[in-house]
Amino acid sequence: MARKLSGMWRLAAALTLLATALLAHHSFGAEYDATKPVTLTGVITKIDWTNPHSYFFIDVKDDKGKAANWKLEGYPPSVLSRTGWKKDVTMKVGDTVTVFGWHARDGSNWAHSREVTFANGKKLFFGPPAGTGDGGNTPAVEVSK
Amino acid sequence: MRAWIVLAVVLCVPIFAQTKKSVPRAADGKPDLTGVWQGGSDRRGSWDEANTGLGLGGTGLDPSAPVVLSSNDRPADREGAPYQPWAAQKVLEAYKRRGIDDPTAQCLPSGIPRIVMLGLFPQQIIQTPKQIVMLYEYMNVFRVIPLNAKHPDDLIPAYMGNSAGHWEGDTLVVDVTGFNDKTWLSGTGTFHSDQLHITERFTRVNKDRINYDVTMEDPKVLTKPWVLHSSLMLREGTRLQEYVCAENNQDPSNFEQLLKDGAKISRQ
Repeated sequence: MARKLSGMWRLAAALTLLATALLAHHSFGAEYDATKPVTLTGVITKIDWTNPHSYFFIDVKDDKGKAANWKLEGYPPSVLSRTGWKKDVTMKVGDTVTVFGWHARDGSNWAHSREVTFANGKKLFFGPPAGTGDGGNTPAVEVSK
Repeated sequence: MRAWIVLAVVLCVPIFAQTKKSVPRAADGKPDLTGVWQGGSDRRGSWDEANTGLGLGGTGLDPSAPVVLSSNDRPADREGAPYQPWAAQKVLEAYKRRGIDDPTAQCLPSGIPRIVMLGLFPQQIIQTPKQIVMLYEYMNVFRVIPLNAKHPDDLIPAYMGNSAGHWEGDTLVVDVTGFNDKTWLSGTGTFHSDQLHITERFTRVNKDRINYDVTMEDPKVLTKPWVLHSSLMLREGTRLQEYVCAENNQDPSNFEQLLKDGAKISRQ
């Protein structure tokens, strides 16, 4: 599942602006800020393969070596299993990973996890693109002006 | 000119014959809908092969691959849903509280046709001569559809309604009634009343594809029948898995908190 992602994030950003891909359940637009991308590197402390969404937690050290624990949200287990993940194999507590995602709007140490890069360079999506579950920029009904 | 028409017909006949022949059939001669399917997609192949894009549920292996649409997505070429003016306003207003009021945010069944048109989770059809069973991974809900039977007269309003089917030629027609008023049809806020009546048409046009045509009628909220066309694509090798939504559902409370904190919830 290793991929070459060079230049892909420019495309991902363009897709984000289109913001038309939607998930029924997830309320990305409300909970996460697509204008606040975040990249974190840290050590996995906990993984919850749960429905309707999975979570993992990482300790991210600042310049002074002080660790802050971040919560990352993504796909449910069945979707992860169909996008290349194996529970307890692909990612384990103690692994160091780099996560790209978007910061939660409440400003806490919480983010939507889009892509995880592992120590060996392998990359997998843990969640959908920004804009997913945003309800769409085009309402289901016409808007009278 | 005439010769061209004749030539076109001659050329097309084998294509139609091939298409008809390529539809798998059950022992009773009906098209066999049995299989695991993905809604909201028109790409052929296994799940891995068909979900390589950058969108929802995609692996990103092929960044140029098309994005799989979700049930909440209004495709660019789709007309606005024919809601009565007061109801259209209610559909629009639902956007602000969608993270709470969307039935699926509360882990409730996603209803019809929304669940049939979902792309992120597979669905399975099991066909017998007398009944057809449809299983949905999302929310772990199911439909048992008796053929050539009437709806029971003691229906309790239900999220997934009550389905009764029959064959019209090679098309499975499913009549669905007995709905409650708690689901969304297709798109954010697309509510309905308990008078909702749905007619679905499943036509397997070849090995890979079922055409899904659905008509929604609801005199309490719509001005005319709302008709949508979609497709189900065969995903051989995919299995349905458990999805117990209530296990760890944190999102409605997060959404509620954001509203309390004054988050601006509006379309771009």
